[in-house]
Amino acid sequence: MSHDTHHAPVACKTELAPERSDLGLYRPDRATGWTDWLTTVDHKKIGILYGAFAMLYFLIGGVEALAIRTQLARPDNDFVTARMYNQLFTMHGTTMIFLGVMPFSYAPLSGTFGANGQALRFTGVGTDFWIIGIQILGIASLAASFNFICTIINMRAKGMTMMRLPVFTWMTLVTAVLIILAFPAITVALIELMFDRSFGANFFNPSAGGQPVLWQHLFWIFGHPEVYILVLPAMGIVSEVLPTFTGKSLFGYPIIVFSGAVIGFLGFAVWSHHMFTTGLGPVPTAAFSLLTMAIAVPTGVKIFNWLGTIWGGRIRFTPPMVLALGFIWMFMCGGFSGVMHSSAPADSQQQDSYFVIAHFHYVLVGGVLLGLLSGLYFWFPKIFGRMPNAPLGYLGSALVILGFNLAFGPMHYLGLAGQPRRTHTYHAGNGWETWNLVATYGAYMLGIGIVIIFGNLAWTAFRGKKCGNDPWDGRTLEWSLPSPVPEYNFAQAPVIATRDAYFEHKHGSKKIGAESDGGEAGVHMPSQSWMPLLASTGFLFAGFGMPMMAMGVPHAGWVVIAGLAVLFLGIWLWALEGPGGYMLKTPAPSGAPAPAETAAH
Amino acid sequence: MSSSHEAAPSKAFLAEEVRRYHHFIVLALWLAVVTGAEIVLIYLPLPTAVIFTILTLMSAGKFFAVIMWFMHLIYDKRLLFWCFLAGLVLAFATFAAVLCLFSADRIDTRWFA
Amino acid sequence: MSDTAAAHEAPTSTGIDHKKLIMWLFLASDCMFFGTLISTHLLYRKLFPAGFTDAEGHQRFIQDLFSIELTSFSTFILLMSSFLMALAVSAMHKGQIKSFRRNVLGVIIFGLIFLGCQVFEFTHFYHKGLTIQNSVLGSTFYVLTGTHGTHVAIGVLWLILLYFYSFTGKLGGHMGALDVEVAGLYWHFVDIVWIIIFTAVYLVEYLGPYGIWGSGLPAVVK
Repeated sequence: MSHDTHHAPVACKTELAPERSDLGLYRPDRATGWTDWLTTVDHKKIGILYGAFAMLYFLIGGVEALAIRTQLARPDNDFVTARMYNQLFTMHGTTMIFLGVMPFSYAPLSGTFGANGQALRFTGVGTDFWIIGIQILGIASLAASFNFICTIINMRAKGMTMMRLPVFTWMTLVTAVLIILAFPAITVALIELMFDRSFGANFFNPSAGGQPVLWQHLFWIFGHPEVYILVLPAMGIVSEVLPTFTGKSLFGYPIIVFSGAVIGFLGFAVWSHHMFTTGLGPVPTAAFSLLTMAIAVPTGVKIFNWLGTIWGGRIRFTPPMVLALGFIWMFMCGGFSGVMHSSAPADSQQQDSYFVIAHFHYVLVGGVLLGLLSGLYFWFPKIFGRMPNAPLGYLGSALVILGFNLAFGPMHYLGLAGQPRRTHTYHAGNGWETWNLVATYGAYMLGIGIVIIFGNLAWTAFRGKKCGNDPWDGRTLEWSLPSPVPEYNFAQAPVIATRDAYFEHKHGSKKIGAESDGGEAGVHMPSQSWMPLLASTGFLFAGFGMPMMAMGVPHAGWVVIAGLAVLFLGIWLWALEGPGGYMLKTPAPSGAPAPAETAAH
Repeated sequence: MSSSHEAAPSKAFLAEEVRRYHHFIVLALWLAVVTGAEIVLIYLPLPTAVIFTILTLMSAGKFFAVIMWFMHLIYDKRLLFWCFLAGLVLAFATFAAVLCLFSADRIDTRWFA
Repeated sequence: MSDTAAAHEAPTSTGIDHKKLIMWLFLASDCMFFGTLISTHLLYRKLFPAGFTDAEGHQRFIQDLFSIELTSFSTFILLMSSFLMALAVSAMHKGQIKSFRRNVLGVIIFGLIFLGCQVFEFTHFYHKGLTIQNSVLGSTFYVLTGTHGTHVAIGVLWLILLYFYSFTGKLGGHMGALDVEVAGLYWHFVDIVWIIIFTAVYLVEYLGPYGIWGSGLPAVVK
């Protein structure tokens, strides 16, 4: 009976009397299907939406990458034009970071690797669209981050002290803090760029005394914390996966949390190491060099803690564990070349060469992507209640790790042999032919691996074999809930007595308690609303209108004004709707018939 | 509007509000006086460094007075103060560094000179 | 109202209301935002202390533009609006809705006066030859103070909405006081940003022929 009780409240939801908001409009609380997905306020559904769109954009970014590698497979190739190539690598970076990696960690982030200073070089309206696009993503990321921080520090279960939080939650918190402090710099830089391009201002215009290098500074004041914004969630995921599959608690929990916070803090003090070759002067160069080297310390501490966690454990080599182990190894390689860059003299040799491409792909693919894939595979049975096919999982993981090393390993050599980044093509005779070809083969292998993993997961979501609520012998609270997790999460608010609460509950003496008053009244659920969708539609129109205005499209200015008006209206009506909410009765543990529902108003 | 479910403010709470009210009035007077002093100060025949230092201190004083009293940080939980201070200190340190990184003798003047 | 309000007042882990916490986090983030804008302006003042060249090709000092009387007046107005805002929040805590309305109306009027001063200042500067296109100084000055003005305008709009909302009878109790307090935090922040701008952008320009910025070379040409 326990198998289907969690469906009962969801079914009941349609019986809920439609509730009028303070505006007198019906709330879409009883909605199902499309309406439900468009107006949902359930963070789990929003997470699934993030994940699905991230996978889509990830594939698009992957196709862009394969086009780049195909172009570079042979010397003097003309698979794509130089102009097309420029657009490809800019959009590859933007797509992957902004739209692929970022929603994957469920903490929307943005960034533009490999796009440093590009906006200044490109002309044409494409750049205006790019500016507005990043601006919208930035504002969305900020809003989500305020929400994340408030949720994490203000809505913890009883007994869930900060030092009992799962490490993934801790790293999400640090990430969100980094987002709210790093994004304003790029927001302002983009505003200044927009004023330069649209209204003839001189912020970065050299002929009026503007300093293009200021753009670089502002970009990297945001851009370097952004690197940690991307990698910290992956570190958090690995810190959950490793203990689960070794049967041991995380080695040095407080040190791992502290190191994460230190990495976040130091991440703000090193931005100029991306700009050693601009000639900062000896004192700043030395200072930024030292600070950059200092970041290796907390990162190294984390790596040793992970090794300490698996040391002497009963390791189960499940696909997520394979990916997590791959993360440690590959991320270390990326870290080592990073320490090489921190030395300014070495860096001036490597700047803008393929060595840098190799470095940040080892961090972003070998580090972040493997970590995120591991997490995706790890929590997939919880999200859908179905277990992905294991042999396909192993095959995909192996192809991804092998293909990745084949693709990006040779780039270290290519870079030191002088191949510049962002290069459209190259002549034969530089000694670059062999390794470029190998890298292209590796890229395709990586692509096939990704397709196998995504295909496996997509198939599993709809047709896969059902699994229990706790297939991995999990350690944290979510594994105590039914899979998929019911809309109300916990029928009774849990009371936590220790770290790794569910593992202790199963195998130790400290049981998870329940708050006594939660059961009878039901769970208070927030009302759904159309207004966020209305507001974001207005945002979209305003965003599209602005570059069109710059293009000289007639009446585009009115589109902007109308868009802003709709945005404002959406927020205003949302505020006026009132708090709403309804009580959802949860099923009795014995599986009694589904109880009736009552609206709060 | 105070609904039947909301308890009426207690006497101690009201007394505290009255005390705050007086703090606000005193602070408003001080803000006006300090602003007036700043305007006078820039015309005094003192060394620039002295005036600049005093201006900075006065500005910082006004800034912290407003966040502590008008924005209730002195009455609220300490956590809020640290949240805001993190942003403030980081902004100050970062942009002080940016200002130091640029100097007139290190810029490329070929473009416009 | 009361039932749902009670449901929303479930105690938080830290004892701080969600809205207040989020507003303070936003303000921390906004420190970086205005930090970037202010430092961009100061940076170019440091590099090019000589001012700008107007349409007729005359070299202009920044002191020729600024009017200390106008700026002092608008600074004073904004400080006093902050004071009235603190009184409005205090009134809400005591449940005195009429006193709240009186004070918040004062804040709105003072905010509008400040914006009026800014419009006057921009027009005045424009006629003296400073435009957003003719110098870096124009770009940084107008965008910095304009962004601050936009913040003030959003604050005025927010308070106007709260003012009218208070007549529906739904603005009350703990949640109502919290809504006003959060709007107040925003308003005070706009005020403290101006406290910094007043000193760093206006006052220091009176400390020498090139302000605090030294000898005045190299000049900007365009």
